[in-house]
Amino acid sequence: MTAESTSPTPVETRLRDVRATSSPVEFVARVVTFERREVTRKSDGSRRPLISGLLSDGTATVRFTWWDPPREGIERGTVLRAVGAEVREFRGRPEVTFTWKTRVSPAGPAELPKVDAEEIPFRTVEDLRPSDEGFRIEVRVVRIAPKSVTVGTERRVVHEGLVADRTGAIALSAWSDFGLQIGEAVRLAGGYVRSFRGRPSLVLDERSSVVRVEGNDLPDPAELLRAPPRSIAEVEDEGGGEAIAVEGVVVGLLPPSGLVYRCPTCHRAVHSGICRIHGQVEGQPDLRARIVLDDGTGAVTVNANRTDTERLWGVTLDEARARLRNQPDPSLLEEEMLESLLGRRLRVRGVGTKDDFGVTLTPESIDRVDIDLDAAAEELSARLGGRS
Amino acid sequence: MSLREPAWRVTARELESSLEEEKGEGERPTAYLLSPFAARMNRVLMAGILSPAESIGRDDSQAFWRARLSDPTGAVAITAGSFQPRAMAQLRAASAPRPAIVVGKVHLFRGRDGVGYVSVRAEAVRSVAETEERSALADIVRQTLDRLDLLERVEKEPALSEEALRKDGVPAAWLRAARASRVRYPNVDRAAFRRDLRSAVRRVAGESGPTSATPSTAPMVTVTRAPPPRPESPAPSAAERAEESLFLDQLDEVADVSADGYADLKEVLSRVSSHGLLGDRAEVILNRLEEEGVVEEPIVGKLRRA
Repeated sequence: MTAESTSPTPVETRLRDVRATSSPVEFVARVVTFERREVTRKSDGSRRPLISGLLSDGTATVRFTWWDPPREGIERGTVLRAVGAEVREFRGRPEVTFTWKTRVSPAGPAELPKVDAEEIPFRTVEDLRPSDEGFRIEVRVVRIAPKSVTVGTERRVVHEGLVADRTGAIALSAWSDFGLQIGEAVRLAGGYVRSFRGRPSLVLDERSSVVRVEGNDLPDPAELLRAPPRSIAEVEDEGGGEAIAVEGVVVGLLPPSGLVYRCPTCHRAVHSGICRIHGQVEGQPDLRARIVLDDGTGAVTVNANRTDTERLWGVTLDEARARLRNQPDPSLLEEEMLESLLGRRLRVRGVGTKDDFGVTLTPESIDRVDIDLDAAAEELSARLGGRS
Repeated sequence: MSLREPAWRVTARELESSLEEEKGEGERPTAYLLSPFAARMNRVLMAGILSPAESIGRDDSQAFWRARLSDPTGAVAITAGSFQPRAMAQLRAASAPRPAIVVGKVHLFRGRDGVGYVSVRAEAVRSVAETEERSALADIVRQTLDRLDLLERVEKEPALSEEALRKDGVPAAWLRAARASRVRYPNVDRAAFRRDLRSAVRRVAGESGPTSATPSTAPMVTVTRAPPPRPESPAPSAAERAEESLFLDQLDEVADVSADGYADLKEVLSRVSSHGLLGDRAEVILNRLEEEGVVEEPIVGKLRRA
């Protein structure tokens, strides 16, 4: 926290307004995340410490870099005042840097800018893009469930789920327990959007606010989960999404389908008794099917779990294992499964993610669809008759 | 990024009428067969009655099987070789005609007179109950009608945008296929094709047997792009055509798995001889295919499709 005042006296700004052109700036913000590192200088090989992470003042969150930081006194949640911080732009987003010219001093939460909730703009799910923040949004909770995760060395509980408005649905991760219930309509503020495994996700933390609202305009969760299927070509174009429904025909299975062995700790598939993460383990048998579902416009991969596989195939895990004892070639099992599934019409709902090989659906439900032949013949006949 | 090719729902009649090939883009371009009715197919899904397969391979090391799939509109050849072991096992399994669903890649062989012979190299074959075959046929007819409707719409509104169609759930790829079909098959008889679909609808309703009693045989389209036939060489007989077809099939099979994309001449000759097409006869067929410009030998001993 050195002093140097050759630069022009900056005016206190909000992080929402910092631009490279306004550099240097003065602001008060809270440390959201930080990490200590050292970089090695190329010129003389000397090592220089730095802290990098995220700062937020309630109007925006920006990445920061702090050269030669103090050895202690910085923690998550620390509020500090920075005078003479440099602003640069990286990939169109501002970042702040604390150099030897910057004066950084501790500050109190009361010094954080007063953000009037009324001045934060309202947004809809459709408009949300990764790294957006500083918005309010009204949504319906479609799904929510607590989950225990490891962050670094810490165990934390995250409440994961899905929220939706009339324009669409987005995954939710709340790092603080807001007591959200399925079906509730809520107005959220102080959240931000990030991309997790190719899925945009709305993140809430202890600084976010949740207010229960009437939400008469919001869709009913059941209605959202009953939405009619869309064409697979459309799902491929959009790159997946939440609460997707498609209907198609099974045209193949991808390996590995059938009997697999999983690590008892992380549930990853075990190869030759070795788990990628946990080494030598006693693999637990499991059934799965990687179904290629095709509707004539495109194809998706549906990863069916044991329950769905048993139901669709009509063979239980125990029966599959018994068969394997009689004829030890596991590829015959896969073939038998394909034989019972090929050509079946299925309606699948779930979460879609896209990679280089196309869209993969993690299903919430897989249902068999039977065509009413008489009704179909009548409809087709009418379509044919009207024109020729 | 290459997405999996969708399985176009087509009737045998539409496939029989498809004679225009297209190549995709990229380092390993995908081959497409363009139908007159707005399908741009690499992969297809068909339903019908599958005949028992006949072996057209001589020994087990080069097994190759062929069956016919008939629906009420027509019939196409379904093949599977040792590169499609599961489908081949399924083709071989039956001794009597049975309802089946087939998913596979389309393959066009063009004879010397410009007439195309389409077959489907099966990836997956399954015997099904009759109701399942009829359900699949309903799906096929519905999508075929969707494509015919799209063709009419494109004719009425040439400036139709992908955006406008997306709102109606029509994929952009369908619009591109419809435009290409109109250009490549300007004089196609869609009314006759619609009449053929009626028999398929009767089958969906269960009012008719699995195959139509009077399949129409007049080709819906002919594409004349080959040079006019030379008078001095007599038209090839059906047997000669079959030999050409065998030769080209084997050439494709060898080329498919070779590292450089060329088919080794010796291997092709050894394969065709195991199918009964021996030495001199094979040379005659090869010479004729080269003269016709179907096959070329840019490197001595290495063949490829021209």
